[in-house]
Amino acid sequence: MNFVLWTKIIPPLEILILWFVIYQILVFFEGTRSFQVLKGLTILIIAFIVSQLAGFDTLNWLLTKFFGISIIAFIILFQQEIRLGLARLGQQHLFNIQLEESEIMAIVEEITTAVYKMQKSKIGCLIAIEKEAKLKTYIESGVPIDGKISAELIQSIFMSYSPLHDGGVILRRDRVIAASCLFPLSDNPNFSRIIGTRHRAALGLTEQTDAVVVMVSEETGEISVASEGRFIPIVNRERLVNILKGLLIGQTKQNK
Amino acid sequence: MKKWLTNNWILKLVALGLAVITWLYVNNELLK
Repeated sequence: MNFVLWTKIIPPLEILILWFVIYQILVFFEGTRSFQVLKGLTILIIAFIVSQLAGFDTLNWLLTKFFGISIIAFIILFQQEIRLGLARLGQQHLFNIQLEESEIMAIVEEITTAVYKMQKSKIGCLIAIEKEAKLKTYIESGVPIDGKISAELIQSIFMSYSPLHDGGVILRRDRVIAASCLFPLSDNPNFSRIIGTRHRAALGLTEQTDAVVVMVSEETGEISVASEGRFIPIVNRERLVNILKGLLIGQTKQNK
Repeated sequence: MKKWLTNNWILKLVALGLAVITWLYVNNELLK
């Protein structure tokens, strides 16, 4: 290839690779407590560049010294994330592998079966399905499970004598990631007075993330789905399957 | 492609900004 042409291609190519790497790092940290620390660090880096540009010598000296020790601080602060990230790289999970439509349908079927069985027994439940936004913060608040999704597993988690029945379950792909998770409560004034804590938690999570939440009310046995801070009424099993299919398969196609 | 770009676009924009700043800084384009 022509050398001059190659030197012209290198900068945009390099920026593109940098963009991809930085985006993957941001996605990895998004939704975790460490994301706030990462934001703080980014502000410090920008301040460092600005101070160099403006010629603020004292500030520059201070920030240079700070960055010297910050490498150790970075390793300590992000110890868990670095370990997880390296493990993911090893497992080649960095590139999001999409589930087949048939696999999603099987998951929807398991969720629907569990929900209708729990409705019959008037057992309350709160099931969050993770989409693009990572629910790490909420996963950390619960008990890790990491088991393959099945109607029986979901039902046994929400049985009233189960130590895990309080709080919500989080599903990622075809796994039950954690149970007994705490979700943020919605402070939407239109809903907060008329709905219970479980519904407020479902609403709160879908207001802050793109997750889909399926719940059964313990008092009325009513089934609802929450998405984007709104409730979708469920009248029968077919509707639940169609709603979940639309919300989950639509997302998968969008990612492709 | 359009859908991919608009999905989570804030994070993508922030990442692009940081990538450009990093590249300019490392290549001394900012301090010229």
